[in-house]
Formats: sequence, structure tokens, C-alpha cells
Amino acid sequence: MIKSIEEYLELLKTELQGSDAATVQDALSDAEEHLRAALANSREKQPKMSEEEALNSIIEQYGSPAETATAYAEVERRTVPQLARENAQSESALARFFGVYTDARAWGALLYMLIAFVTGVFYFTWAVTGFSVSVSFSIFIFGLPLALLFFLSVRGLALLEGRLVEGLLGVRMPRRPLFTQPNLKWLDRLKELAMDRHTWFSLLYMLIQFVLGVVYFVLIVTVLSFSLSFMAIPVLQEWLGMGAIYNNGLRYYFPTWSYPLLVLGGFLLWTTFMNLARGVGQLHGRMAKALLVTD
Amino acid sequence: MVDSPTVTKKFQKELNAGIASLVLLSVLEKSKEPMYGYQIAKLLEEYSGDASFMKQGALYPVLHSLENSNLLESKVEPSVSGPPRRYYEITSEGKETLVVWQGVWKQMKSFVDKAIKGA
Repeated sequence: MIKSIEEYLELLKTELQGSDAATVQDALSDAEEHLRAALANSREKQPKMSEEEALNSIIEQYGSPAETATAYAEVERRTVPQLARENAQSESALARFFGVYTDARAWGALLYMLIAFVTGVFYFTWAVTGFSVSVSFSIFIFGLPLALLFFLSVRGLALLEGRLVEGLLGVRMPRRPLFTQPNLKWLDRLKELAMDRHTWFSLLYMLIQFVLGVVYFVLIVTVLSFSLSFMAIPVLQEWLGMGAIYNNGLRYYFPTWSYPLLVLGGFLLWTTFMNLARGVGQLHGRMAKALLVTD
Repeated sequence: MVDSPTVTKKFQKELNAGIASLVLLSVLEKSKEPMYGYQIAKLLEEYSGDASFMKQGALYPVLHSLENSNLLESKVEPSVSGPPRRYYEITSEGKETLVVWQGVWKQMKSFVDKAIKGA
């Protein structure tokens, strides 16, 4: 006999062990939502029934933890995040290298790396400001509600970042917020959040994102401008009559025979970078999963 | 007796896999307002009467997968009691898909009926 909703959720969590962490989080939120709604409903209709009895008749209909876990595992096996398509391994290395242009994951990663600059700056500012304000005001009583709001915002941002990561990098992330006890006093809520590893990992992620965002951005801009410059040299020299390099009033020209090599070089440089971006995107996704998803 | 419960259970589960999507889409198409999981489960309970075709918990992953295919959309809203609820609504793509699925279902039904009757 399952005695409480918490016990059911614990059992469900055990049953789901080994599945994707994001699926586990979704499954727990769904179960929590359903069971609480059903329990409130049965309390209204049959106030005489004991809580345990009511819960067990609800679970009878909802499915045992094992049954529910199987249902999630099955659907999860059939649905894959939009971008997480399996890469065809049969292709040759060369085809894979140039096929990067038709790979949505590479373009997604590129876009993500650009966005990471903006989000990184924002996360960093938010984390540092929120943290220092919460800590320094905690000597006053109003510092504590401030800290609670800050922690809640970190949770929210973590979920949002997860959606971004799943959308652009194709790594499965939670689609639902973590469940919390609904009738917790705010001070207990604050304690719970402050004791939760998840909160601090999310904060850490927000700091790391700043550094990575800057690095990604600089890399994209540098490589893109180098590649484009190489490819533009023949145009600049032949049609516009400008030197490729201009220094101290002296113009340097590349010889005509080097044009094909320059264009090819620029193209290969960008293609290599696209491949690199795809890999970096996958690594970043894995890091996001490790830090933002509770296990 | 030939009827082994595990075989029947397996058959029921395999049947449900596709039908659940059709049923959920239909319910949400008929509904004038967005519905949350427990509401949908209650409504289906009314439809099925005494027979229970699938566990309510199995509805949720199907809802997620329909949303993932852009046939449904959802939003989370706080509730007066308990945790926030996720409300589901059918998309225009979902409505178009449902028309096609209903056609498939009709054909399938008459095909299965004929096969059973042997007419």
C-alpha cells in the first residue's frame, strides 16, 4: 500500500532509474499534478474515506509506479527531440565533413553559440547581482524573501535555458518545472531551495555560460571574418583594384595563381569550423544536462 | 482456458499505443477550453464506463509526444490548490491531422470488422 503522494513519486523515481533525466522530471511533475488534483477531488466527494484509501483507489486508475514508468519509457523511445536525429554512420568521412551544411544540428549549434553570448552576459549579471544582493541584505529581514525570489528566478532561467538547449542543440531537456511542495511556508521553501544541489549547479552554469558565450562569440566572428576575407581577396584585387593587405601606405597583392587556393582555403576553414561547432554544441548540451537537470 | 491475461494485456497495450493519440486529439478538439491532464482523464473515465482501457498515467507521455509533434500546445497555469497545472489545447496543425486520422480510423474499423465477420 502506498501511503502518500511523496512515496508514490519516490517509487516512480526508482522505477524510472536509467531513463533520461529529463523524462524522469517530466514524469514526476505529471504524476504529482494528477495525484494532487485527484486527491483534492475525492476529498470533496467522499470526505469520509481515509486519505490512504482514496490515494490507493486513485493509483489503481492512474497506474502503479511500474506501469507509469513503462508508459513513459515506451513513448520516449518513439519520440526523439526534433534535432537529435541519428547521424548516418554509413557515410564516408568526406561526405560527413561537407554534409555539415545540410545538418540542422550544426546550424543550430552555430545559432546557439551566438545566442550564448547574450544569454551568458545576462545570466552572469543576474547571478552575481542577485547573489550579492541576497547575501548582503540577509542581515536584514527583507533579505530573505529577496533570496527566495532570486533562487526561484534561477530555477526559472534553468528551465528556459533547457528549452533553448533542446531546441537548438537537440539534447533532451526537461519540459516541465520541478515539482515542489505546494503548502510549504516561504522560509521552508527558501531552505529547501538553498539546500538543493540543483540550485547551485544552475548558478554555476550561469557563470560558466558567460565565459563560454564570450569565447564562442569571438571564435565565430574571427573565423567567419577570416574565411570571408580569404574568399573575397580575388574580388577585391581584380574588380575593385584594392590590395589584400594595406600597411603604411604600401599595398600588398596576392599573385593571381593563388586565387583558387585562397578561395578554397576560406571555404575549408569555414567548413571545418562548422564541424567544430557541431561538436562543441553536443558537448555544451551534455554539460547543460549535467548541471541543469536533477538526477 | 486459452485466455492468458498477459497476452490480452499485451494486445490491449499495443492497441492503445495508436488509439490514445486519436482519442486525446479528438477530446481536445471537441473541448471549447484548454484542458489539463486530470480533467481529460476524468472525461475519458466517463466515456469508458466500467471498462478501463488504459491507465490514466499513460495519457501524459502521449500528451507530451503530441505536443512535441506540434499537434498540441500547452501552457502552465498556477492552480488554487496544489501544483501548477499544464493546460493542453489543439493546434491548427492538430485539427488538420485529426481529420486525416479519423479517415484512417474509419477505414481501419471497417477493415477489422470485415476481417472478424469474414464477410
